Amino acid sequence: MNSQAVLEFARGPFFYFALLFMLFGLAFRLFSVISLGWSRDRVSPMGSKTKGVVVTFLKAFLIWPFIPWVKNTFNRNPLIYIGGGLFHLSLFVVIILGTPHMLVWKSLIGFGWATLPLPIVDWMSAIGIIAMVILLINRRIHPVLKLISGPAEFFAWLFVFLPMLTGYMMTHHIGGSYEALYARHMITVDVLMIWIPLSRISHFVFYFFSRAIHGQEFGKRGVAV
Amino acid sequence: MPEETIKKNLVDKGVSRRDFLKLSGLLAAAMGMQLPPLQESGLPMSLGTPVRGAQTEHAILHALETKMRLPVIWLEFQDCTGCTEAVSRSVSPSLTNLVLNTLTIEYHETLSAAAGYQVEQAKQEAMKKYAGQYILVVEGSIPLANDGAYCVIGGRTALEHLKEAASGAAAIIAVGNCAAYGGLPKAKPNPTDAKGVWEIITDKPVVNISGCPAIPEATTGTIAHFAIFGTLPELDNLNRPKTFYGKTVHDRCLRRPFYEAGKFALSFDDEGAREGHCLYKLGCKGPTTYNACASIKWDQGLSFPVQSGHPCLGCSEPNFWDGGGFYQGQSAPLDRPTVAAVGAAVGAGAALGIGAALVNQSRKKAKKGGS
Amino acid sequence: MMSTTEKAMEAFVHETGGWVAAQLEACTRCGMCAEACHFYQATGNPEYAPVWKMELLRRAYEQRFTIIGGVKATLGLDKRVTDEDLAHWSDLNYEACTVCNKCSMVCPMGIDIGSLLHGMRAGLAAAEVIPADLAAAVTKQVNEGSPLGMTDTVWDQRLEWVADEWEVEIPRDVKGATTMVVFSSIEVMKFPANVAAIAKILNKAGEKWTVSSKAREIVNFGFYEGSEEHTKLFLNRVLDGAKDLGVKRIVVTECGHAYDALRWHAANWIPEASNFDVIHITGVLGELVGSGRIKIKPGFFDNGGKITFHDACKIQRKGGHIQEPRDILKVLAPNSFTEMTPNREESVCCGGGGGVIAVKAADPVRYASFELKIDQVNAVGAKTVSMTCSNCRLQFTDSVDHFKLDWKVAGLSQMVADALEE
Repeated sequence: MNSQAVLEFARGPFFYFALLFMLFGLAFRLFSVISLGWSRDRVSPMGSKTKGVVVTFLKAFLIWPFIPWVKNTFNRNPLIYIGGGLFHLSLFVVIILGTPHMLVWKSLIGFGWATLPLPIVDWMSAIGIIAMVILLINRRIHPVLKLISGPAEFFAWLFVFLPMLTGYMMTHHIGGSYEALYARHMITVDVLMIWIPLSRISHFVFYFFSRAIHGQEFGKRGVAV
Repeated sequence: MPEETIKKNLVDKGVSRRDFLKLSGLLAAAMGMQLPPLQESGLPMSLGTPVRGAQTEHAILHALETKMRLPVIWLEFQDCTGCTEAVSRSVSPSLTNLVLNTLTIEYHETLSAAAGYQVEQAKQEAMKKYAGQYILVVEGSIPLANDGAYCVIGGRTALEHLKEAASGAAAIIAVGNCAAYGGLPKAKPNPTDAKGVWEIITDKPVVNISGCPAIPEATTGTIAHFAIFGTLPELDNLNRPKTFYGKTVHDRCLRRPFYEAGKFALSFDDEGAREGHCLYKLGCKGPTTYNACASIKWDQGLSFPVQSGHPCLGCSEPNFWDGGGFYQGQSAPLDRPTVAAVGAAVGAGAALGIGAALVNQSRKKAKKGGS
Repeated sequence: MMSTTEKAMEAFVHETGGWVAAQLEACTRCGMCAEACHFYQATGNPEYAPVWKMELLRRAYEQRFTIIGGVKATLGLDKRVTDEDLAHWSDLNYEACTVCNKCSMVCPMGIDIGSLLHGMRAGLAAAEVIPADLAAAVTKQVNEGSPLGMTDTVWDQRLEWVADEWEVEIPRDVKGATTMVVFSSIEVMKFPANVAAIAKILNKAGEKWTVSSKAREIVNFGFYEGSEEHTKLFLNRVLDGAKDLGVKRIVVTECGHAYDALRWHAANWIPEASNFDVIHITGVLGELVGSGRIKIKPGFFDNGGKITFHDACKIQRKGGHIQEPRDILKVLAPNSFTEMTPNREESVCCGGGGGVIAVKAADPVRYASFELKIDQVNAVGAKTVSMTCSNCRLQFTDSVDHFKLDWKVAGLSQMVADALEE
């Protein structure tokens, strides 16, 4: 099979399958959790739960990612904050504000938006890749992370890392013809999409629950979150 | 009259020796035989001045002086005659015109003066006379559905015509995306089950000069290569001559710097479009399209689609018609799931998820009761 | 007969509703929670990472409830839970965790780790894999009504003695009182001055209050242990006492865990609990001082060196009474009151809560984690550490003794009582 055909497969049926599988899998995961039953909280609150939820989300989106040193644990392990933070920032910048990625969104949801110039996105992706490598090394040497990491954590790392790496190689035409690189990028993306519901990469779905629970628990006690 | 040499034919037509030398150099350049190859420079072929004294030029000169004119049989199946148009529209003193003059086209539906039974008769005779020598040029795809009923010429199907003509051919050149890879007729849902020549003829070399239409210089250059050297040029993995299809349109595009700088036209009439910015966001397929458009260009090097402000459609690649919308980004997936498909996937996931949760809940209760 | 492991697994599974499952699913295993844990900070033992302490709960959930987890366990990619595991995690959870929930403050996903760790304890308690001294204390509370051996008679005698010694009236079993105060046996047995102080304050404020001989112990070792059955049993003793006397509100004195159980959990286990207002004595003090029902002498503690305030995990971070003690201390010691860093909801735990102080084997890590507190207090140069939790106070007095420190450890109620305007 030539790379043009591989690319056609990766952009066509494989992507289609991976996307639907991801949506299917995430829906399965989500509903198998939220249908487990939620007991009603009969405790009379001291503060507002809603306020707690709103405040915690605002802080989580607007304060902690940008000034993480307000957390006093930041000093104890800044690497994990900075590495993790930069990785996520890079991810969002690249897949939302990168031109080719925006066009994917546009084709899927029907509208597009302004994007950043290639050099900026390119630097961000390089930062993301470096952050990922540092996080992996950290995971291999930090005693706590060594203890809590199993094959699942490394597979998740690998399947997130590969699309980033192949994407970077594709932009810089390293290691083959454009469509071969493109095919490689698309295949790794498809594999990632399949892996998301099978792994903890799906944390972005449950994040909204745990964060809301946090806000609610602290809010009802009238404690700052 | 294929018995006379190419040179004699030209001299008879009043081409001076000086012009003849020029043409030899031009040919060598077109086939990428010279360093630096003219097409590599990005200059339009017909405007180029041949570099004198190169060895290859002498080889070609010698070949043109001694080789017999080449008999060609040109078949048209499910096509639009666009590729013929492209080749025949070329004006003198172009390379294309020259090469056309060096060929004896024994059969060509569109160009033949004769018609009907007579022209079929002439074709049969030519195939017999030049068996094993002639070049078969195919334009258009071959339908296989319903026993080939979608394309019948003189009471016989395209498939029969192709197989018959291919059996005596020295080489086969599939011109245009239809003949090469099925082209438009093969676009989904491909009602005629259209095929490219190389999917049917597997025992003979098939050169694919893809494109919609094929760049005439690529067609004639390849034919000239065979005429002069008696061999086919070096091919890529899709059987396209590397000389013409070695680089992508994106690689040689004059708008490439804007791509790197992230400057894009967002619509056909915005500031970016007027400034000549990259057309990637308007769906340009240049990055994955291997063709010489950006270097040879069209109409004697006048322009090519991207230069004129239209994104590349990717017409030299297999299945380009189904390669996502023409105005949809190159990076976009080829198949977009419908709302119904997404709904079904999410719905099925949700239903199974709720099912799993209920099973787990009942397990919880059963255990609690049991303990 | 069900195996120990099976009992624990079932309890884990029983604990796991959508609330717990959603949070277990949200964990990215980033390990950041370790940095918040005072036991990890003090010892560097990676096993003290909160995420690792709840490992068995995760395994139970994934292996019993999820397809992928089941497949992984079958293939041997995820370890099954064994009896040895239970014993090991029992040590981790009861000896090196105060369920202070500081980890929840740093979790980037906002997981309420403290409540998941309580779930861990529930499983371990169901399998009866708990430290012997803690189990003995629970048994003692079941049989005698108090883990510190405060039987009916002892309680009776102690209160009599306190009333005598400090010349304060302690109304007992008064039907029709509005407020029922339930002391912890730690106060009654070890910090009797606190009992006297609270009595003095409430009398001064003219509060219609009482203690109940039925609801005489607020400490809830069932909650420490994680056993729902025992927790409910002890909560019901308090609630029954309140019901008998017909009071409107129950005041929890300086005991953190008990306050957490009664204020923030009881209503979800025992519906009648929502008939009563439950409030911590710190809240009452804030109310009385704030409304002027009692007057305290401004600057009363300004001359004894710097005073700092230790935030208790269950009363401040998990209880919400963060501002009141500060408002009071700013009156009592406007010049010498200094905050530690970090403070308020971010404070560092004393290291003795969550039943840890009751477990002898935990002594080394308990003292080790107290060193963090020593550094904190020394950083502000305080001579007096004030607090609102007698469990913290027990840890402080014990550790001050152990480390031979020259601090004064003071209960806030006592300070208020001492500074009351006549």
